[in-house]
Amino acid sequence: MLSLATLIRPEIPMRFDIARKAVAAGLGLALLVGCGSSGGQEPEGPTELSFWAWAPNIEKVVDRWNAAHPDRKVVMSKQAQGDDLVTKLLTSAKAGSGPDLAQVEFQALPTLVSNDVLADIAAHASSVKGEFPDGVWQQVTLGGDGVYAIPQDSGPMMFYYRTDLFEQYGLTVPKTWDEYARTARTLRTKAPDKFLGTFSSNDPGWFAGLAQQAGGSWWSVDGDTWKVSIDDAATKKVASYWSGLVAEGAVDKTPMYTPEWNKALNDGTQIGWVSAVWAPGVLAGNAQSTVGKWAMAPLPQWDAASPRTGNWGGSTTAVTAGSKKQKAAAEFAIWLNTDPEAVAALVTDSGVYPAATKAQTGSALAKPPAFFPAQTDFYATAQRVASTAAGFTWGPNVNVAYTAYKNAFGAAITGGTDLAPALAEMQRATIDDLRASGFKVG
Amino acid sequence: MRRALGTLPTLVLLLGAAYCLLPVAWVLVAATKSSGELFATSTFSPGTSILANLDDLSSYRDGAFWRWMANSALYAGVGALLSAALSGLTGYALAKFAFRGRDLVFNALIAGVLVPSVVLAIPQYLLISEVGLADTYLSVLVPSVLSPYGIYLARIYAAAAVPEDVVEAARTDGAGEGRILWSIAVPMMAPGLVTVFLFQFVAIWNNFLLPFIMLGDDRKFPVTLGLYTMLNQGNTTPALYTLAIVGSLVSVLPLIALFLTLQRYWRVDLLSGAVKA
Amino acid sequence: MPSTTSRPRRAGAATPYLFVAPAVVLFLLVLAIPIAYTVYLSLFRIEVSGLGLGKGSRKEVFTGLGNYARTLTDAEMGAGALRVLGYGALLVPTMLLLALVFALLLDEDRARARGFSRIAIFLPYAIPGVIATLLWGFLYLPSTSPFVQLLTELSLPEVDLLSPTGIYFALANIAVWGGVGYNMIVLYTALRSIPRDLYEAARIDGCSPVQVALRIKIPLVVPALVLTTLFSVVATLQVFAEPTTLAPLTNSLSRTWSPLMKVYQDAFARGDVHSAAAASVVIAAVMFVLSFGLLRITRSRAFGGER
Repeated sequence: MLSLATLIRPEIPMRFDIARKAVAAGLGLALLVGCGSSGGQEPEGPTELSFWAWAPNIEKVVDRWNAAHPDRKVVMSKQAQGDDLVTKLLTSAKAGSGPDLAQVEFQALPTLVSNDVLADIAAHASSVKGEFPDGVWQQVTLGGDGVYAIPQDSGPMMFYYRTDLFEQYGLTVPKTWDEYARTARTLRTKAPDKFLGTFSSNDPGWFAGLAQQAGGSWWSVDGDTWKVSIDDAATKKVASYWSGLVAEGAVDKTPMYTPEWNKALNDGTQIGWVSAVWAPGVLAGNAQSTVGKWAMAPLPQWDAASPRTGNWGGSTTAVTAGSKKQKAAAEFAIWLNTDPEAVAALVTDSGVYPAATKAQTGSALAKPPAFFPAQTDFYATAQRVASTAAGFTWGPNVNVAYTAYKNAFGAAITGGTDLAPALAEMQRATIDDLRASGFKVG
Repeated sequence: MRRALGTLPTLVLLLGAAYCLLPVAWVLVAATKSSGELFATSTFSPGTSILANLDDLSSYRDGAFWRWMANSALYAGVGALLSAALSGLTGYALAKFAFRGRDLVFNALIAGVLVPSVVLAIPQYLLISEVGLADTYLSVLVPSVLSPYGIYLARIYAAAAVPEDVVEAARTDGAGEGRILWSIAVPMMAPGLVTVFLFQFVAIWNNFLLPFIMLGDDRKFPVTLGLYTMLNQGNTTPALYTLAIVGSLVSVLPLIALFLTLQRYWRVDLLSGAVKA
Repeated sequence: MPSTTSRPRRAGAATPYLFVAPAVVLFLLVLAIPIAYTVYLSLFRIEVSGLGLGKGSRKEVFTGLGNYARTLTDAEMGAGALRVLGYGALLVPTMLLLALVFALLLDEDRARARGFSRIAIFLPYAIPGVIATLLWGFLYLPSTSPFVQLLTELSLPEVDLLSPTGIYFALANIAVWGGVGYNMIVLYTALRSIPRDLYEAARIDGCSPVQVALRIKIPLVVPALVLTTLFSVVATLQVFAEPTTLAPLTNSLSRTWSPLMKVYQDAFARGDVHSAAAASVVIAAVMFVLSFGLLRITRSRAFGGER
């Protein structure tokens, strides 16, 4: 909307240092002065913890905690998804007005730790190390002695497909990426208006998961030096594989999570989806008319003899460095992600796939997701796939790499050019940023 | 000849109206669809779920949507009211008094406006946090009060609508400046101030970036920000498209009502103040 | 033009200062101090020691004009400025031409449905940019767009509005849609303040309505046109919300498409407040140059009657 009034929409905050409480009272407004203003000592009496998160229905799980802990009440505030929340956490930490707890994705942990946003809760949390798979726990310690978050859910990648349409076109479920490519081509010849999948320049997390599966390692630490190898051989292999499929038109190239893509899943234009364990929840939302028609299989493999998968998404519960109630906050974070009842509620209400090992075989996951009524072994398969997840080290500027992915891969896809240069661009932008910030880069 | 001339302008106007209403029509239709229908049925064929959708919207997180609407009404209503008052006062002073620094004040106000809000977002947030006001109603409300555009309009209205001899006569009768402003100038400037109120109301209602940066507590969100969080729930959750669409529709209804009921105040003459009825 | 010539009082009294004081105080708090703070921030940069993971491993160091040097030589910033210029060249003339045509037609007594059209064309102004972009997004995406469906049914070639060239039109369209009504109202109000008897005289002289429009009305609203143009240009250079919202729907829009988007990325995604501050100052400087040009015009035209 372009007009004078837009120009001067009052998006302009201010410093306001007259008797603010008097004014607030005069206007009859509630005044919430930043949390954790209670001073240095951890309070012993009743207290409230503020919690920023976005997982669906997580407030219901929080309600359970509140019912059992009236003196440690957690106040939920629902936020927009991961990247937006990282932004807000960074700014609010600078201003000292952040929450006590926040839902943080794995890949954002180094960024937030590096900016001193998260508290090291090793003193309170080291004891629950055994509740989680080593690879997952390593991601919240960043390979050191500190513990910066409690893992909540993970997103092992899998392949989803429409059983009815696979049958109709006489397709078999691809076990390797070669088979996936052949299946995609076969489908195009049999049904020229349909696709087996899409390459999304909009979802760096998806591509990162595929790179993990292939054995890619984007960041690594050597002494006090960061190494960046986004364009390593494994990732190059993934990029050139999809580059070829896109170029020959074997797969679609519309980004995921657009109205168009939703429609394509719903009306059967896309008959498969390379996704993660949480896909049933997404499909239930955007492809309602296809209920019961989907099935899940392990991700196609590069080497069928040693199956692997990557992670797409997955998050943690972190305590902020600015919180004055870190002990109480850590207790809540541990309860939320390890208490059997809490984790079961997370599974049923929020639809997450828990990171805690015990929960993955727990009774909450005994039944398949409602959207996949026929696949009774859904979570048994999921657990088998999850155990093959590759480890991964995230760097302190994942968001820069992700933006570079969106820009460079988007441009390559629209320009119809090879994806390898886009990968090189992503590598360059990530290293440049680290250097510009003064990191030692090897 | 006359008829032909009348038909063409009408046609062009109606085409323009159709162009502007098309996306609005789309929301109206889309709001009637269930989330299954949204991506399944053809674009302009209506669905059957409008009531169910409204119901879902109302029950979303215990009525969060209506709380956001109330917040928006508070931010926009109170903000625009204070803004009209401030603009009237300042505009009158700028138009009716010659004083040292008048041009400086006016130029600074107008020029300050040209700094994009994205640019100032972080320093403003840091400063507002420093005084402990981040994440409060006031952090959104107070900045909304200063409307250089409103001051600009009010100055023009005051210059055009308040005759100097009336002010002079009142002064000769011994009326104080405050009294002249309140009993003579304000009634004369009223239509202009209503216009300022309306534009500021829309501006605050539609504002996104300021509350996005300032607020963390979702119980204080205005409706734009609430809808944004609905649309942006992350990879693992599909956007709540149906709810967001119905929500968008409901959220623009108050503004449309303002348009229709206060039609005659929606006029802006940037040069002469539009005081002629 | 104002019909009354008001002569401000040369007051030595404190009254006018009292009256403008609240606005000035608010201005200082809301704008002046944050701007000064931005300038201050722009002179520093972050220095990281080691892996940057430990406590206190980041500190601010003074860098003088280093951030400015980087901003002015940044290729992406320059490319973004060019893209926005192209977008503006498409948008501003189209929007103002349409606004002028609609305003003239609204002022034309023989046109019907004027009340309805005025409201309808002005209506998009009430819709937040974020929501407007989402709506148009649905109408652009080939599989959800009724236009593409229509074109396919008529066997016409598909138009891809989300292609790298199409995106300029797609974005300009959203801005035209949102802004044409507002500008129309401005121009229409200006037209209504022209004395009616001028037209009568012209009609008696045998001028057709088109001639009246071209020879009398348009010249008389030129000042209003100049103002709306300038405001539109400034708003164009600040384009941010629409491309940001549209970007996830297409491969054709980078996250640094416009200079302000680059600033946002620097500040929020890269967490580099300092170089974002420097870029902000540069952008603001460009805006100031424009705004002073604008002030020169508005002052001579709008307030000629005051002193």
